[in-house]
Amino acid sequence: MRRRARRIRRAVAGLAAALFAIAFLAIYVQLASGHDPALVANAARRAAAESSTAAESSSGSESSTATESSGGSESSSESSSSAGEESSSGASAVTTSQS
Amino acid sequence: MVCVQAMHTTNANILATAVGPHLFWMTSRAAGVAALVLSSLAVCVGLLIGGHLVRGHRPELRVAHEALSLATLATLAVHGLTLLGDGYLHPSLGDIAIPFLSGYKTLWTSMGIVAFWALLALGLSYYARNRIGVQRWRKLHRFAALAWILGIAHSLGQGTDAGQTWFLAMLAIVVVPAVGLLLLRHRRPAATPRPASSAPVPQASVAR
Repeated sequence: MRRRARRIRRAVAGLAAALFAIAFLAIYVQLASGHDPALVANAARRAAAESSTAAESSSGSESSTATESSGGSESSSESSSSAGEESSSGASAVTTSQS
Repeated sequence: MVCVQAMHTTNANILATAVGPHLFWMTSRAAGVAALVLSSLAVCVGLLIGGHLVRGHRPELRVAHEALSLATLATLAVHGLTLLGDGYLHPSLGDIAIPFLSGYKTLWTSMGIVAFWALLALGLSYYARNRIGVQRWRKLHRFAALAWILGIAHSLGQGTDAGQTWFLAMLAIVVVPAVGLLLLRHRRPAATPRPASSAPVPQASVAR
């Protein structure tokens, strides 16, 4: 019985180590592939904040420079779209801070 | 060829720098997942023993229950202590050990902390059951199932992976049988100790 008990204890220790390793690997793959739920949510939140800030600034510049040529509004839309790209790529980047 | 090799090296470097800051967080999450599975298995085995649902192999089940419970406590300790190294949360020892102290998702965090202390106390009380009194200890030990339920609630409410399909599938696989056994145990009348005339019971198994 003592030998059997030792075998059971060893099996449970192995199971615990295997479970930990599998879970760690799954989380690692999820994180490295840019699908980590916390990081994606954080990146999406940041993107939304950036896009709203960009929209606010572009609407502000439009109202203040209403008499200016259309080149000004083009540049503002360019800047907002580039900000959007940055934030969307931020969702796949894994170095963003967790939520 | 050189270009491909350089790309692989770059990718490896990106992954290394990407995972580095999250190492403690990832370790804590993995330990939490392992603890969830191990605790569910421990509850299942405990209910099989307590409800006299398995004939024979009782000493082996008892050893398995004890080992699973200790493994659960060890992984829970890793789950909490590795959070101390997390660069985002920066929790203090009090934040991870004292309920309602942490400002981060206070209710769910506290639920996890209470579950851990309850599991620790109820689990380790096994070694003091003679001092406590076997009948009293048995009654107390039933609350371990409640602590396990608190732990599940904590994982669903606070777990980063709580919304993930793989996590929910894993949770269902380990939790549903345990809940079924728990319901079965509560429907059946409390198991009475076997009469002395039946097969001899080993000394160690008398306690539970």
